[in-house]
Amino acid sequence: MNGLLKGLGVTLKAMASPKVTTSYPDAPYVMPDRFRGIQHFIPELCIVCNQCARICPTDCITLTGKPNPDPEKKVKVIDTFDINFEICILCDLCTEVCPTEAIVMTNHFELSAYSRDELFKDAKWLSDNNTLVRQDNNNIGAPAKGGAK
Amino acid sequence: MIRTEELLLNVGPQHPSTHGVFRIIVKLDGEIITEATPVMGYLHRGTEKLAEDLNFTQIIPYTDRMDYVSAMTNNYVLVHAVEKMMGLEVPERAEFLRLIVMELQRVASHLVWWGTYLLDIGAMSPFLYAFRDREMIVDLFNELCGARLTYNYMRVGGVKWDAPPGWMDKVRDFIPYMEKKLKEYDNLVSGNEIFLARIKGIGKYDAATAIDYGLSGANLRCTGVDWDLRRAEPYSLYSRFEFDVPLGTKGDCYDRYLIRLEEIRQSLRILKQAVQQFPAEGETMGKVPRVIRPPAGEAYVRIESPRGEIGCHIVSKGKAEPYRLKFRRPSFVNLQILPKLLVGETMTNLITILGGVDIVVGEVDC
Amino acid sequence: MGSFLNEQLTWGGVLVVFLWAVVFLVIVLGFVTYAIYFERKVIGWMQFRKGPNRVGPLGLLQTVADIFKLLIKEDTIPRKADRLLFILAPALAYIPAFSVLVVIPYTQNLYFADLNVGLLYYVALSGISALAIILGGWASNNKYALLGGMRSAAQMISYEVPLVISIVGVILLSGSLNLRVIVEAQAGGWFWNWNVLPQIIGFAVFVIAAVSELNRTPFDLPEAESELVAGYHVEYSGFRFAFFMLSEYVYVYAIAALTTVLYLGGWHPPAPFLDFVPGILWFILKFVCIVFFLFWIRATFPRIRIDQLMGLGWKVLLPIALLNVFLTAIYIELFIKG
Repeated sequence: MNGLLKGLGVTLKAMASPKVTTSYPDAPYVMPDRFRGIQHFIPELCIVCNQCARICPTDCITLTGKPNPDPEKKVKVIDTFDINFEICILCDLCTEVCPTEAIVMTNHFELSAYSRDELFKDAKWLSDNNTLVRQDNNNIGAPAKGGAK
Repeated sequence: MIRTEELLLNVGPQHPSTHGVFRIIVKLDGEIITEATPVMGYLHRGTEKLAEDLNFTQIIPYTDRMDYVSAMTNNYVLVHAVEKMMGLEVPERAEFLRLIVMELQRVASHLVWWGTYLLDIGAMSPFLYAFRDREMIVDLFNELCGARLTYNYMRVGGVKWDAPPGWMDKVRDFIPYMEKKLKEYDNLVSGNEIFLARIKGIGKYDAATAIDYGLSGANLRCTGVDWDLRRAEPYSLYSRFEFDVPLGTKGDCYDRYLIRLEEIRQSLRILKQAVQQFPAEGETMGKVPRVIRPPAGEAYVRIESPRGEIGCHIVSKGKAEPYRLKFRRPSFVNLQILPKLLVGETMTNLITILGGVDIVVGEVDC
Repeated sequence: MGSFLNEQLTWGGVLVVFLWAVVFLVIVLGFVTYAIYFERKVIGWMQFRKGPNRVGPLGLLQTVADIFKLLIKEDTIPRKADRLLFILAPALAYIPAFSVLVVIPYTQNLYFADLNVGLLYYVALSGISALAIILGGWASNNKYALLGGMRSAAQMISYEVPLVISIVGVILLSGSLNLRVIVEAQAGGWFWNWNVLPQIIGFAVFVIAAVSELNRTPFDLPEAESELVAGYHVEYSGFRFAFFMLSEYVYVYAIAALTTVLYLGGWHPPAPFLDFVPGILWFILKFVCIVFFLFWIRATFPRIRIDQLMGLGWKVLLPIALLNVFLTAIYIELFIKG
């Protein structure tokens, strides 16, 4: 009997406590800075080293480069850059190995679409997606840093 | 003359209480089970086969998704196996971060178990209480590594991120909050006479049976066998902290329930000591070669995950990808005792016993 | 009301009675709508969350939206199900629930029927709902539904016995089966004249048996969601399912009203100086307290097992109810008559 009454007391006290409901669609849900949302791509910084495509566990990044329009520079320039968002698992290994931080994550996570075609993100969409970009990138896997890995 | 027949019932892949897509075919005589056959494989995703093509850093996100309720311990077992094969040193701060994160994960996993177990038994409120508290842990992880469930946090040789400023204080504040909540949970459920009548004396087995079937975790300790890998074969920095290993005596569901709640308390105790001893500065990544290529050979390591003993066996032929990667998953092994335990029980006790074993189907099927 | 009921029956009288019944049906449906809404709100508050709050202002139209959704759903009948029984079961569950409401007196003058055997009428009709659940479970041609139906047959029949015997104490004290006379017998101004204190044992047995009759947690095995995936109404969809839910909440109304009338003094205030408040408000207040108590129990307790339920009903509640009858009889013999 005692246990039952204690249980009733706990729920009655909970009735008077502050509620933890957030009004989600009306008030946006703010994610911390390190949150791994969909990527943002900066084509000017990309040196077409292919590290991101090699490290991706699900092989969702495909990219092609073209020779530099500026005849002085040797570095290739990015031509197409696609992320197949149906299989991207948002693991952020691609941002970890990019030496120039050309690909970074943002905090956007509301990504449902009505058709599968919209889930195939190309370079234009990714470079337009430049709000809520993550500040702290920690690309420890980048070869140029010369550090671990 | 009355003729009775056996009823063949499918506690089907889609069922609110089987903790995932898991099927049990039961033969019923009225309400008593005469035979139970578990059928698994509905969530098989081929992790071990896919790993033969990926290098170790790429396998880490896959391990998150095996036992998705306690992803940090899965990450750890893989990186620890590779570090053991290659003989790598992990800096102290990184090891502390790993340990703190694993113990927080143990608390979160036991909260999920508690909430869903009571939901199966019929009480709807403890589920929300447990998830409200788990939300705080998941928010801590979100700030630390950017994801709420599939963390991809540990790397071979250390961890990816250092703790952001203010994070340790939040962990320190969480510990007394959670201890207070545990008292509230005890008031709400542990003394409840209806709950005790449902759970005492159900699913009993003795120590010899448990060892024969290879059970581990709370399923083994409820019979009184004192075997916890954090104490018996210390890994990481567990030898530096003092904590008790709760043991049961009777081997029934009630003992498993009490042991898991006590394990939350002991995890909070370890966390308190770890946050106190946390080094003020240090590296988060050790000296690791650019390409992770373990020497040819094999290694097997095992650690204590919230569900039991998880092990990782790597066979390497000297390349960046493993030749064969095998995980010894605790939920898979713990399920083997289910057909034996269920004979002679009623349908209601089937749900109670299955919940008490604490399986995650992502781990059963890998 | 009494004078109207004692007149000769004319066609005009039939029309008036029919219209009153329709008005009452609308009131009961309004109660059901807002009882479901408040149940979800109260259980939400007890779980640190707000309940429904998006559909309509403060979520007040949530149940209306749910019922509308149920009405426009496809009406499926499984091919091998027994058609007649399948269609009959929800109606058979609802009709007794609504018919028993006729004997409840709300105030001195506001009642629908003044049966001299009102309590017996109530208990007799509420037994038919057990039959409806068995029919629903059997006619669905589904093993889960069958298990749920069999469980509920055992449960509802075995808890009717302590329910009725616990009421016998009240009947002995009041000397009549007429519900109005039972409420009159609790007059006297103060709350200790109500039957709840002298009959505390009977009240405890009555509350437990009533929660079991309503198939609510902790006794909701027939529809145990986590084991039998909705039990006896698993094959019902759309409007027929709504009928089962409706009959459950109308029964909540009936049991709460009966508890108020039998044990809590009906329309009498708890103290004489409070009798400026009209009786109907006291009735509603006590009624609301009982309904809140039912919601509170639902949010807190786990489910009890079928064999423990049987053991509780026959081995614990029945002897206690019989003991209550004997004690009441001895008390009446020694203190009231002698």
